[in-house]
Amino acid sequence: MTSTGLQPPSDNVHKDPDPDAVARLGILIVDDHSIFRSGLRSDLDADLDVLGEAATVDSAIRQVIVLQPRVVLLDVHLPGGRGGGGAEVIRDSAAQAGNTLFLALSVSDAADDVVSVIRAGARGYITKSSSGAEVSDAARRVADGDAVFSPRLAGFVLDAFGAVAGETAETTDELDRLSARETEVMRLIARGYSYKEVASTLFIAAKTVETHVSSVLRKLQLSSRHELTAWALERKLL
Amino acid sequence: MMRPRLRLVGGVCAGFAEHTGVGLFTVRLVVVLLSLCGGFGVLLYAWLWLTVPSDEKWPGSDPLPKSSLARARSASLVVTARVPASFAPVDQESNHASDTNTGVGKARGDSPARAHADPARTAPVTEILLGLALLAAGSALVASRLGADIPLAVVVPAIVVLAGTALAWRQFADIRSGVSQQSSALLVRILGALVLVAVGILLFFVTGTNPNAWTVILASASVLLGVAVVTAPWLLRLWSDLADERAARARDAERADIAAHLHDSVLQTLALIQQKAGPHSDIARLARAQERELREWLFTGTRGGSESATDLGATLRLLAGEMEEDFAVRFNVVTVGAGVAVGSETIPEGSHSGIDAPEALVAAAREAMFNAARHAGGTVSVYLEAGARGIELSVTDRGSGFRLDQISPDRLGVRESILGRMRRAGGNAVVRPGPGGAGTEILLTLPAPPVPSSLPVVNSAVGRNS
Repeated sequence: MTSTGLQPPSDNVHKDPDPDAVARLGILIVDDHSIFRSGLRSDLDADLDVLGEAATVDSAIRQVIVLQPRVVLLDVHLPGGRGGGGAEVIRDSAAQAGNTLFLALSVSDAADDVVSVIRAGARGYITKSSSGAEVSDAARRVADGDAVFSPRLAGFVLDAFGAVAGETAETTDELDRLSARETEVMRLIARGYSYKEVASTLFIAAKTVETHVSSVLRKLQLSSRHELTAWALERKLL
Repeated sequence: MMRPRLRLVGGVCAGFAEHTGVGLFTVRLVVVLLSLCGGFGVLLYAWLWLTVPSDEKWPGSDPLPKSSLARARSASLVVTARVPASFAPVDQESNHASDTNTGVGKARGDSPARAHADPARTAPVTEILLGLALLAAGSALVASRLGADIPLAVVVPAIVVLAGTALAWRQFADIRSGVSQQSSALLVRILGALVLVAVGILLFFVTGTNPNAWTVILASASVLLGVAVVTAPWLLRLWSDLADERAARARDAERADIAAHLHDSVLQTLALIQQKAGPHSDIARLARAQERELREWLFTGTRGGSESATDLGATLRLLAGEMEEDFAVRFNVVTVGAGVAVGSETIPEGSHSGIDAPEALVAAAREAMFNAARHAGGTVSVYLEAGARGIELSVTDRGSGFRLDQISPDRLGVRESILGRMRRAGGNAVVRPGPGGAGTEILLTLPAPPVPSSLPVVNSAVGRNS
């Protein structure tokens, strides 16, 4: 199924990230279930431009490199390749698609599924039961450079970094622990608060919340904390 | 063939009778008669006792209750009294000897403690053999003092063999029950016991008159046979353990295969249905209920499966599932921190539950979730954090919200079931507007009891979906 769903849009201008054409966001949908792909495609907001679809790891890598989408909606579990699923797509294609960001789609909220993709470089994840509007919103936020955290992922981060046990980072460049502020933000996100609500609760600007979340994402990706490296080892990421 | 739990000595006769259909009395008579024929019956009995598995259908597979242990012990006395006749011709003194010999009493005295630690069926055999050896030694001594003609050439080796066998079996039992000792020390002790057996058998021949080549051949064959007899029960059991473990692993692998398949296809379809049918339609609710059931089945048993409903997070998920079936609501349950056991007596040992969550917290949380489900609906977030400072639980909805002072005093739902209950449990409850002024947030806090326990950071509860 190399070229399934590869339907180049009539106007091919979105391939290059020309600032004039950025009004519409180039999206690639990667999922092995065609019903899900078509369903998501029809549900996405009108200002998102679906450049193509892919069903396997190999075709996904190829299409990411050819189409250079801004955001890839990437299923965690994918057939093909070396069996690495979504994480393999990211690792093999990110170098040749510098402007592409990945948003993981997972059927479950389970941290085991998600962390591997995040560690590989995804900018966040959403569950497949999210509505089209939610997916569109998340894709836009990822395109803006923000990280997308679900309550459950925030809960996992709090656990994995020992924030509940009272461990806090003293300096901002410490990768293995969260700062006090980051812990606060994560705690509120885990409670189901939106970024805006977190901002108003903590009396900080919305942009500051996004900075904190992005910094947590960076720690999640780069930290060598043993809980995380254990995950990575288990998934053969190291 | 199984040995029943209700037994006189080892349940061997009863098990055999049940298995073959022969009368119990007949079986016992035959065993006794065989015992008189050179002790063959006793050996057969001991052999079957060790190798035939115990029937586990008895309610509660605890070690034997004390009363039946006591019975087994008194029965073992009968056996010991019967046996020396076959090993040494000192029958009339045996009763006398058991009184004078303190070693027997000692061996019996320390046995209940061991019987508790070990599977019930292995413990008495070792004691009996040791007792037998000591009894034989004592009898022989007394008899020779009284001037009887004791064939020491036979008695001494028999004692050594018995003691060696008993020691070897005791070591095997230790290995099997997983008593973590240094394995090298254990190995040395087992080898020592086996050497004792071998030496004992050799003594039979060395002390014999006019040795020749046949004696040597017979001796070596006997040693091999003796060691084989001593180790065989242990090897057999090791083998059956291995088979059990292999079967369990095969089951796990199969389960994982099924789980992977279901995870990829069926859960996907259910998620799609939920997405397509709109978040609060009946179809979506049905699909979600199915998804939850499937997940429960997939994840129980694979990863320890320890948290049935004894874990606070699991309890909350259970409650959420029940309410989602009855109301147009969707709970998003996130748990952080160490697992918290519900109910003081049901804390599973070895789990990481540091805090004993009182029922009051569960009841208050249930009321809060119920309120949110009934009055607000939509998506409700439930967040549980169990840390060193205590437990914090928040229920946040996006409904129209309510203020505490607007509730009429006769309505006890919030005031009594949540606020009052938490206060009585030593905690606190706050009802306030939700984030951004919309909806309601109910915050339940319970300080940690003053236990200086360092809570481990565990991410067990997070990996599982609601």
